[in-house]
Amino acid sequence: MAAGDLFVEMECRQFTKSGQNACGDDYQLLTLEKENRSIAVLSDGLGSGIKAHILANMTTTMGLHFLKSNVDILRSVETIMDTLPICEVRKISYATFSMADLRLGGITRIIEMGNPQYIQLRGTTEVPAMKHTRIVSQRWPDREVDCFETRMEPGDRLILCSDGVTQAGLGQKKFKFGWRRSGELEFIQKLIARDPEISAKDLAYSVAFQALSITPGKCLDDISCLVIYLRRPRVLRILTGPPFHKEHDREFAQLGAGGANDVIVCGGTTASILERELQKKTEIDLHLVKASGDLPPPGNMPGVGLVTEGILTLSRVCSLLESGQTENAPMAARAILNRMHENDVIEFIVGTKVNEAHQDPNLPMELELRRNIVKRLTSVLETRCRKKVVVRYF
Amino acid sequence: MEKIRLEICCGTTCFMLGADKLMRMETLLPEEFRERVEITGVPCLNVCMEESICRAPFVRINGVPHAQATVESVFEEIRKLLEKEEREDSE
Ligand code: FES
Repeated sequence: MAAGDLFVEMECRQFTKSGQNACGDDYQLLTLEKENRSIAVLSDGLGSGIKAHILANMTTTMGLHFLKSNVDILRSVETIMDTLPICEVRKISYATFSMADLRLGGITRIIEMGNPQYIQLRGTTEVPAMKHTRIVSQRWPDREVDCFETRMEPGDRLILCSDGVTQAGLGQKKFKFGWRRSGELEFIQKLIARDPEISAKDLAYSVAFQALSITPGKCLDDISCLVIYLRRPRVLRILTGPPFHKEHDREFAQLGAGGANDVIVCGGTTASILERELQKKTEIDLHLVKASGDLPPPGNMPGVGLVTEGILTLSRVCSLLESGQTENAPMAARAILNRMHENDVIEFIVGTKVNEAHQDPNLPMELELRRNIVKRLTSVLETRCRKKVVVRYF
Repeated sequence: MEKIRLEICCGTTCFMLGADKLMRMETLLPEEFRERVEITGVPCLNVCMEESICRAPFVRINGVPHAQATVESVFEEIRKLLEKEEREDSE
């Protein structure tokens, strides 16, 4: 989500307990663009495997729904507790959770029940909550719910995790009481000191992986680390298609010369326009052909960025994103996907001139119109990848 | 001796009409030719839009565009150019 100049990056990384085929933790993320709100819910179901997963999933689904609809906290928690099925063996229904409700420019609330306490960091300094209240339900007196209020400033990070992280290594000589929150905190502070701009995705991965590595060769409990990072957005600009009017070529090409964190030029004609207007030359290494699968190999325009073929490559990127199966993507598609992942805002600069040659009935297959592909990409990037997409036509 | 410059179009139309094979040209050239030809990829040779439709794939050899290029036709062209060079050298 981006408001003004800010972007909320939310990512979660999980590892499943060894021997189980479902993770007993679950998380859900939601962006309410119009309300400038981001919601994240993480839950750890009792036990492990599919049963735990169902408990956790029920909890995150309800939690997300209640938070979104601003239902009173106590009522939400009680409803969740009432709804969860009771374990026959332990006679309890249980799923711990952490929920964060971030409002840009406003108060961020964190609600926790039984999960390790969240961490908020400004740079490497931990930020204490402005307010902390503990509420107890009359009907479930043994369940304590902690409510925190804080303010997230640009650059701040919020880290939620399941006890698979804080209890990692439990019982080992070095970690009698597990890694603990303090160990986790110290680890994160070191990471941020080394890489102050580390993304939510990389941080979540590093923490989860570290927790996993403490006990070599075995994952003793489901591990989840969820990171929310409020930061200036990284912008990927994709130029594709020649402008409708040739007079606009220069202005169009200039957009490739700066103003974004990453630039991709998708399309041969498009690349030629930039080459001409910016006096650059694309380098395509044909040795890459062997590794480039059934798409033309990617190239590089020094000072601009990645260059790929247009319609075929973009269509492929689109269908890979839609199917969610992005492994084994051909080289050019992979290069685009990676850049999309690394950036928060994807800006499409779309030239609308139709290439006559693409209408040729002798082509072995029909080519989709550029505008359509961009439309499909916009939808999948916004809904599935939580990116902000901006489209500008030329 | 200057190398022969062979540019292969990596654009959509050319790729769909057979340039994917041309891109592997380097491995297909006989040993004695390989050293004398420099092969590069180009995003689009910009002839797809101008030329009458269906003449892709295009390549450019020493700056001259060739339509409906195949591995054989490109090979043939290179052979001719090399022969010409040799003839000129011996004169
Ligand atoms: S696609 Fe080959 S010349 Fe344009």
